[in-house]
Amino acid sequence: MGLTAGLRPVAALAQDDAAWTGARGMLELQGLTRRFGATVAVDHVDLEVPAGQMVGIIGRSGAGKSTLLRMINRLQEPSGGRILSGGRDVTALQGRALREWRRDCAMVFQQFNLVQRLDVLTNVLIGRLAWQRGWRAAMVLVGGRFTAEERAMALAALDRFGLAETALQRAETLSGGQQQRVALCRALLQQPRLVLADEPIASLDPRNAQLVMDALRDVNQRDGLSVLVNLHHLDTAREYCDRIVAMQAGKIVFDGTPAALTAERVRSIYGITEQEFAAEAEARRAAERAPAPLAVA
Amino acid sequence: MPGLRWDALLGGVETEGSLAFWMYRLDSWGWLLFETANMAALATLMGAGAALLMAFPAARNLGAGRVVNPLARRLLEAMRTVPEIVYALIFVWAFGVGALAGILAIAVHTAGACGKLFAESIENTGLGAWDGVRSAGGSWAQACRFAVLPQVAPSLLSYALLRFEINLRSASVIGFVGAGGIGEELYKVIAFNYYEEISAILLLIILAVFAIDLLSERLRHRVIGAMR
Amino acid sequence: MSAADVAAWRARIPGAFGGGARGRVLAVVGWAAFLLWLGWVLWHFDVTPRRLWNGLSGLATILRLMVPPSPGELWVDILQGLAESVAMAFLGTFVAALVALPLGFLGAGNVVTNTLFRFSLRRVFDGFRGVDQLIWALAFVRAVGLGPLAGVLAIATADVAVLAKLNAEAIENAERRQVEGITAAGGGWFARLRFGLLPQVLPVMLAQALYFFESNTRSAAILGVVGAGGIGLQISERIRVRHWDEVAFIILLMVATVAAIDWVSARLRRRLIGG
Repeated sequence: MGLTAGLRPVAALAQDDAAWTGARGMLELQGLTRRFGATVAVDHVDLEVPAGQMVGIIGRSGAGKSTLLRMINRLQEPSGGRILSGGRDVTALQGRALREWRRDCAMVFQQFNLVQRLDVLTNVLIGRLAWQRGWRAAMVLVGGRFTAEERAMALAALDRFGLAETALQRAETLSGGQQQRVALCRALLQQPRLVLADEPIASLDPRNAQLVMDALRDVNQRDGLSVLVNLHHLDTAREYCDRIVAMQAGKIVFDGTPAALTAERVRSIYGITEQEFAAEAEARRAAERAPAPLAVA
Repeated sequence: MPGLRWDALLGGVETEGSLAFWMYRLDSWGWLLFETANMAALATLMGAGAALLMAFPAARNLGAGRVVNPLARRLLEAMRTVPEIVYALIFVWAFGVGALAGILAIAVHTAGACGKLFAESIENTGLGAWDGVRSAGGSWAQACRFAVLPQVAPSLLSYALLRFEINLRSASVIGFVGAGGIGEELYKVIAFNYYEEISAILLLIILAVFAIDLLSERLRHRVIGAMR
Repeated sequence: MSAADVAAWRARIPGAFGGGARGRVLAVVGWAAFLLWLGWVLWHFDVTPRRLWNGLSGLATILRLMVPPSPGELWVDILQGLAESVAMAFLGTFVAALVALPLGFLGAGNVVTNTLFRFSLRRVFDGFRGVDQLIWALAFVRAVGLGPLAGVLAIATADVAVLAKLNAEAIENAERRQVEGITAAGGGWFARLRFGLLPQVLPVMLAQALYFFESNTRSAAILGVVGAGGIGLQISERIRVRHWDEVAFIILLMVATVAAIDWVSARLRRRLIGG
């Protein structure tokens, strides 16, 4: 069951697509910069992402990957530079237009960012909020009454990742891997053009990490969505991505195919071997998983 | 103190020294007490409702803007620092003698007191879910409703119930200044030194407060139990 | 998503579509009951839009007359009233703390072992707590006449019970060993209390008394409304004659005083119970 088909009118879809995949590409960053006080988290990043590509962004912690993705979704404001989409500047969007942009570039977080005390179904339905307007939005706001069609959509999305039976449970009763797939369902309900995944597997064990990465690949290949995913495992990036962008101290230091990112390139970029890079990532993951109170209650 | 006599304790209304003689106006006092409880309930509902609406802009962590946030905080502060009875004195002039003035006075004070507690509750929730809803294109109000409200609802409800207990006490005295409820009757009997009536009404108030405390404590435990 | 798909999902997971018929009926009944109650209460208390509107416009007039706040000609009376309120709060708390000290020992399980006596004593404490300070004030105004004495007595009576209960709890939480040490040294019942328990619980009791002093400055400010002296008398008199600018001044003065006393007392308390 194709999820994105059906709700958006076909004519509008074609028209939108023309705008999105126009001459300038679907996402283009020009000199994007973010400063926190004296430190520069993201330093004049230029990047162009065509439609349908799966891009892995790698780098050690503090390289600016997270800030970059959060700026694209406009959760964080850039200090300089521009974000363009189909030639349209989205850096200065406000109000309704900003929310529509956010809807179009769905975000998946390291800590899932689900509403723990809400049921899984409602968590997924949150992806529909940006589609509602006027009277309907007010009704949902006051009564929480999503339409039957929206509910069925959410269930279909959950079913795609084997989670339909958990729809009525509270989010907090799910394991980390399940929660992350619920978060991905929420992203899909937004019917986005682009999925931004910020360290989606950093808090997961290897088996769940693979499930989530498979799901992201599925979204990329079957729905044709572009995916930008932050990773700190080179192996994962090589296995899943069409293109790898490496960041160091806020700058892009490598941009090419997985095959081009050889062991020597890694050493010359980061000054450490690939094994050390992996060990560092592993240590950070262990440190982050240990105090996480988000697992099954 | 009522002149109760053991031998006549269970006698009829006519028998001097019986319980029935002491509480000879139990029906009208009971009704007044019921009215007072309703005043407290309505005032709590109105006050807590207003507090709920104002707590989101007043919370420091939801980015309500540099003008709106301090404004909401100051307003809540002003509402809770002025005592209810002073509000009641003023409202009796504006709205006339009667329960409406008392209800509004208690409601305003409740909004201020609850609003502060609600805002603190909101400030203590993590912002992960907030980011989740905002990143999906949800508006500020939608994020409040879907990311914050479900997380804080149990503690808000339990604060409101606690406030209801407090408001019942306030409602029982707000009638002293002509703002309705059993307080007016109490004022009258105290003014005329009807000692038996005073003790009877006081006993009824104590019993009612006690009953509501018990009820609300149970409810609060159930709310917290069921929602956790 | 076609209608058939929706129907298929509704059949598979009906709970996701707003529960069964029973849940819906319950919700409707619940809301209906609530709305009925609300309607009845509004009708009974005669809350009509017209009354609200008239009241609000009256309130707007009052608010306009409150600006700018002014102390008026009798500002000496206002200051005197304020001082009287603070004094009432202080004396009332002092008397309450003094009386609550022995009562607390009587109510504590590790001092008095007679359960029935202790239980009934605590119920009496609870009963006192249920009566608002204003009621006590009104009663004492009848008993000892208008003026601050009634206020002091009202504050003391209302607080004795609560303070005694808190004291009893503090005593029960005190450490055993220090008491046992006195026993081992051959101390009697009184010596155990005086040298074993009291040094432990006194700072806690003092901190509690200070906390009550804080809240009593708030209530002492309004006891005058029923004639028990203090600034409350000043404010109700001015409301009676509708000198709204002076009312506003007194309210501001009250708020400032309460804030100042809160600040001082919070610092003192922190020093007492070590922070």
